Amino acid sequence: MKKHFVVLAFALLVAPALLGTGSVLAKNLEIGALYPRSGALALLGEESWRGAEVARLEINKKGGVAGMQVVFVNADGHDVAAARSEAERLVEQNKVAVIIGSYASSRSMAATEVAARKNQIYFELGAIANAITERGYQTVYRTCATAFNFSKSQAKFLAEWMAPQLNKKPSELKVSVAHEDSDYGTSVADSFKNAAKEYGIQIVSVEPYAANTADLSPVIFRLKKTAPDVIIAVSYAQDAILLSRQASELRLGIPLFGTGGGHSLKSFQEALGDKVEGVLNVDFTQYEVNSVFTPGLKEFVGLYKQAFNEEPKSGHSLANYMGAKVLFDILTKTGGSGEAGAFRKAAMSLDIPEGATSTGWGVKFDEKGQNIRANPLIMQWRSGKLVTVWPKAAAVVDPVLPK
Amino acid sequence: MELIVQVLVSGLLIGGVYALISIGLNLIFGVVRIINFAHGDFLMVAMYAAFWLHILAGADPYLSALIVLPGLFLFGMLVQRVIVQPIQEASANMQIFATVALSLILQNLALIFWKGDFRTVQMPYAMLTFDVMHIIVSVSRLIAFLVALASILLLFAFLKYTFTGKALRAIVEDNTVARMMGIKVERLYLLAFGLGAAFTGLGGILLIPFSAVYPTVGAPFTLLAFIVVVLGGMGSMGGTFSAGLFIGVVEAFGGTFVSPALKEAIYFGIFILVLLVRPQGIFGKGKGTEEIGLK
Repeated sequence: MKKHFVVLAFALLVAPALLGTGSVLAKNLEIGALYPRSGALALLGEESWRGAEVARLEINKKGGVAGMQVVFVNADGHDVAAARSEAERLVEQNKVAVIIGSYASSRSMAATEVAARKNQIYFELGAIANAITERGYQTVYRTCATAFNFSKSQAKFLAEWMAPQLNKKPSELKVSVAHEDSDYGTSVADSFKNAAKEYGIQIVSVEPYAANTADLSPVIFRLKKTAPDVIIAVSYAQDAILLSRQASELRLGIPLFGTGGGHSLKSFQEALGDKVEGVLNVDFTQYEVNSVFTPGLKEFVGLYKQAFNEEPKSGHSLANYMGAKVLFDILTKTGGSGEAGAFRKAAMSLDIPEGATSTGWGVKFDEKGQNIRANPLIMQWRSGKLVTVWPKAAAVVDPVLPK
Repeated sequence: MELIVQVLVSGLLIGGVYALISIGLNLIFGVVRIINFAHGDFLMVAMYAAFWLHILAGADPYLSALIVLPGLFLFGMLVQRVIVQPIQEASANMQIFATVALSLILQNLALIFWKGDFRTVQMPYAMLTFDVMHIIVSVSRLIAFLVALASILLLFAFLKYTFTGKALRAIVEDNTVARMMGIKVERLYLLAFGLGAAFTGLGGILLIPFSAVYPTVGAPFTLLAFIVVVLGGMGSMGGTFSAGLFIGVVEAFGGTFVSPALKEAIYFGIFILVLLVRPQGIFGKGKGTEEIGLK
């Protein structure tokens, strides 16, 4: 017993001293990677993690960050409570330099709060809820777009491209919003209302509906009566399919404009067949995009295939790859330190224009830690593929007016 | 005017499917007197069965009924024999626990085996429509309505003209007296549960050409079917049929002329009103049927 105590005391007293001098163990730079990797969100949570992992493998091959090999301490935020406790563990026990994550906004909201309280840098690469960077936390940064950015891209596209196509001023364009009525659909719809105001677009009707229904014909009848020029749809998977199917059956004849979510999915295209043609959508950068605007995207796809033996499943991995690389840039400047002051100084000094990263996003953090140059792109389903159509610099083909 | 007729048609078409699913529940709830919270999940099982028969064997979803319906019939009997029968005389709480558990198990098995993906069957007729005097009718929804109508008529004939059917009706009216008259109540419970599951399965097959399948697809239908059954009156097949159509129409009109977000709230409101004024349901069989299992 006494012997054990001596060993324990030795470990407690001496080990930190050894760590502090950094002579033996400091070759590794530990970063916490917090994603939902089991449970309901595992599919895209894993895909998001893979993007960051590709960036890690790539930088290590090039000699690492500030001479250190990057190591991920992986954590599974399969639900909100787990995200909170895992963030706690990463800070208290693993003492990681930085935490990255988190794909799902609910997980991110909980985990970033833990980090902020402990003055720990949390680098968000994929969750889009506006509130994540709006709570005044000085140690929370985000490289990807916010929900408001999604709406802003949509409104800008409507004002600058669609209105002229219809020979209208933006203020003459009539827009309806159809959204599923849970928290997700309602908050994105609210975002769009604000964005529309900014561009002087008039919203003529808002149609909330419950996503788990077998019949959306009432929504279609109401839209028919209002007869807007275009419909902004905020939908999950099954209601996106149902809305488009019934729009086609009941010959609505008004273009649908999706907001990420269900409208980006392969299953949406499969369910609708050729009826998907022309449906517009806004989302993170996907793979059918101008390669001049997204330098490094092809290399990413190659590295991804090398690491995981398959094609990327969605743009989530790309967004996380891009964000992780930005983080490595910052950490190179701080010499691998996640100390809040030094980190902030290095992050604020970044100034990358749009069209210079693998997602095409630029990098410039505002005071809240939000990257203000991460603009979602406008895509359109064309011949079974979701291709980028706007802005022009990123487009593969020009948008066409959907029938 | 045109819009009103169009909304009416849409409401009736989906109401037919509601009626069919609810008749399945009424066979279980009204005859066996079990509050089956896994009812919508039977629908989900049938939809997945039709989906996989289509993907793996290339079967047309409508033809897959030949396999799916007998399958659901057996599945329903199995549930009755293994889960329900041992607790047939237990309190309603026990029965509710058992069927809620069954619902959770079925949903999560589906999640394990087939993931949370939204799966759809692509049939060339899925989005076909035709016009009758400017009213647009969806072919797959019309088929769903007509098949639902035909199968409900068949069930009526079965209940009215066959000996077994009469015995089932006797159980609905008074199962103690029915037992005294020599009716083998347990055996007919098996039949009723099997038939109920098969009717629900038919509902699933009719839905699959126009509705995606995923592990929790059945959950909203469970609630809906209970409302339809109680509105129409427990044990009253005709009542259930009318109430199914009624809910479909109320949903369509409420959704179109009030707000799509409120279409469920509107029929819940009507449901509460009916319970207040006529607790045994509009076509209920009278005293005693309003408090099944909740004594």
